Amino acid sequence: MSNDSLDPRVNRLKLGAAGEVIKVEEGENWNVYEVFHQDKRGAHHEHVGCVHAPDPLLALVFAKEQFARRKKCVNLWVVKSADILAFDVEDEDMFANNLEKTYRDASGFKVMEKINKFKQSK
Amino acid sequence: MSNNAALKDLIIKMADDELILGHRNSEWTGLGPVMEEDIAFSSMAQDKIGHAWALYRILHEDLGGEHPDRFAFIRSEKAFQSSHLVELPNGEYDFSLMRHFLFDQAETVRYESLQNSSFAPFQLLSKKVKGELKYHTLHADAWIMQLSNAGEESYARMQTALNNTIALAAGIFEASPEHEATLIADKVYPGEKELYHRWQERIYPVLVKSSLNLPDMSTITPVYGGRQGFHTEYLQPLLKEMGEVFNLDTEASW
Amino acid sequence: MYGGGYIFDEPNGKQLREEQQHDEPEKLAAFEERIARGEKIEPGDWMPVEYRRQLIRLIEQHAHSEVIGALPEGTWITRAPGFKRKLALIAKVQDEIGHGQLLYNAAETLGKSREAMINDMLSGKSKYSNVFNYPAETWADVTVIGFLIDAAAIVNQVANAKGSYGPYCRALERICYEESFHLKQGHDAFIELAAGTPAQRDMVQDALNRWWQPIMHFFGPPDKSSQHSEKLMQWKVKMASNDEMRNQFLESYVPKIWELGLTLPDPNLRKNADTGRWEYSDPDWDEFFRVINGGGPCNEERLRVRKWAEEQGRWVRKALMNPGQKRAMPVA
Repeated sequence: MSNDSLDPRVNRLKLGAAGEVIKVEEGENWNVYEVFHQDKRGAHHEHVGCVHAPDPLLALVFAKEQFARRKKCVNLWVVKSADILAFDVEDEDMFANNLEKTYRDASGFKVMEKINKFKQSK
Repeated sequence: MSNNAALKDLIIKMADDELILGHRNSEWTGLGPVMEEDIAFSSMAQDKIGHAWALYRILHEDLGGEHPDRFAFIRSEKAFQSSHLVELPNGEYDFSLMRHFLFDQAETVRYESLQNSSFAPFQLLSKKVKGELKYHTLHADAWIMQLSNAGEESYARMQTALNNTIALAAGIFEASPEHEATLIADKVYPGEKELYHRWQERIYPVLVKSSLNLPDMSTITPVYGGRQGFHTEYLQPLLKEMGEVFNLDTEASW
Repeated sequence: MYGGGYIFDEPNGKQLREEQQHDEPEKLAAFEERIARGEKIEPGDWMPVEYRRQLIRLIEQHAHSEVIGALPEGTWITRAPGFKRKLALIAKVQDEIGHGQLLYNAAETLGKSREAMINDMLSGKSKYSNVFNYPAETWADVTVIGFLIDAAAIVNQVANAKGSYGPYCRALERICYEESFHLKQGHDAFIELAAGTPAQRDMVQDALNRWWQPIMHFFGPPDKSSQHSEKLMQWKVKMASNDEMRNQFLESYVPKIWELGLTLPDPNLRKNADTGRWEYSDPDWDEFFRVINGGGPCNEERLRVRKWAEEQGRWVRKALMNPGQKRAMPVA
């Protein structure tokens, strides 16, 4: 039964013929789940990648070893990629800051000026 | 601690099981059914080998045993005390998964019991491996339940795998006629019979949720022998392969 | 581990370049400006057809190389000497699969499914790094692969991590971090043999002699004969030329081999003090192409084993398949 491999593991397998056609069906690697990693308590969960899994529980089981076997981690989230809603890249212009909206920024308020003016007026 | 011979006996059988099964499971590394599972299963194989290493170290450091590498890679087949369950070749993934489930549940009840052991190194080690084992059983339970509930072929495979492994798995709990009473009296651990019951209580609910039929445990004959040095035909070649490089020169550093 | 430095050309590469002419010129200009400014391109962005195809090809080949690369080293998993080596080797081969996973995900963001990529690998349509078509004959081979092939891969991957495609760069960042462990454990095991008994030294010298040519091949043919590099460089798909990377590798690692009193099987290998560049005999490039086209010692075995693994795992995957479910590619 030997496959004449240098790998004893391989020699124990019943390999198919050399030209054999093997095709993986679309969907056989299941669905894609995005993985979010929390490296310490109190920190945000950050996106680190994704796993293919048949359901959320196995996605979590897989994510644990693929994304937390080395890096420090205290918790993980998984969510189906299909359930992520994001803006289109073309809508980037919506995020352009309007320079006139100074009322949203600390720099838009000149407190010291007012204090100095008040003190001078005394 | 009073009885070193009894302690050694318990440590060796635990460690040998972990080493041999870790070794077997590592044969799947790179060849698993899907990449994510390949990674998870490989981590757990590493954990098992790691547990064996830790146990051989206790043997070496606390009980005057040999260096772990020499003890694991040079010892003769007859001196191994592994159970037959862990020695068998991997077969297909159903067999490997079922063995992993039954073994890791057994490992879990064993280490849990060691948290209160009178032998201090056992207490330390059982705390160290607690989180790992929690993950192993989470993984194993999830797979057993999902595959058993995933259609006829898959269900049939899992039931067959269970039927083929249950008596072998019961063989994990083979007590030493010579040392068992001492270990229990010295409160090293609660004994194989007690662990065997706790193990059944653990696996039963998972099998129920999987709709798998657990054979009547009173009718099965546990496969014993491994603890006494009587092994399957598969252990000798495994050991020869495992030690192939190490034994080129046992005095050299690798 | 292993981004083969050489991207194998697709037979229909010429046709792709013709398609590219349909890309809208304003969008193309904006895209190229973006890259010139050092911005990353993300999955939803407009990109030229040719850019997308070249990236898929590159990342996919890189992913296949990881998965196939797990095989030659896997050869020694059951025989690694001692606990530390045994665990480190399993962990390393596991990492290769992990890298493959990250890379397939990165390629999927460009629109080709993991299944389609696996199929192209199994059918031979999509290649993997040539270096894995050679056998790992002894334990010393594992140390040479772990040390030098991982080192070569790092040179390549560190360069590519500065490329223009966001998901690929992010995957490579994580991969490079893990490669540093590989390199260190490979180097450690290599030194152990080099500093060991005469038999261990002979073993590692023999492995070096056999692996040197595949390592020189690793970065691909010399720049003078390499095609279609210019556009890929401008688009930051390819970040450094083959010769540049080979030189960088020799500069960093030949001294680390020589300092252990080991030799390399090339009498012309030396650093030219005037140019600061390494000189070497041209490796046999006919052999390189012969192996790419299936004539290497292990091409057949590697694919047969991968096919076995896919076939073995099929019932597991199929049992949990959910055809009705809405599927999506990774988002980033």
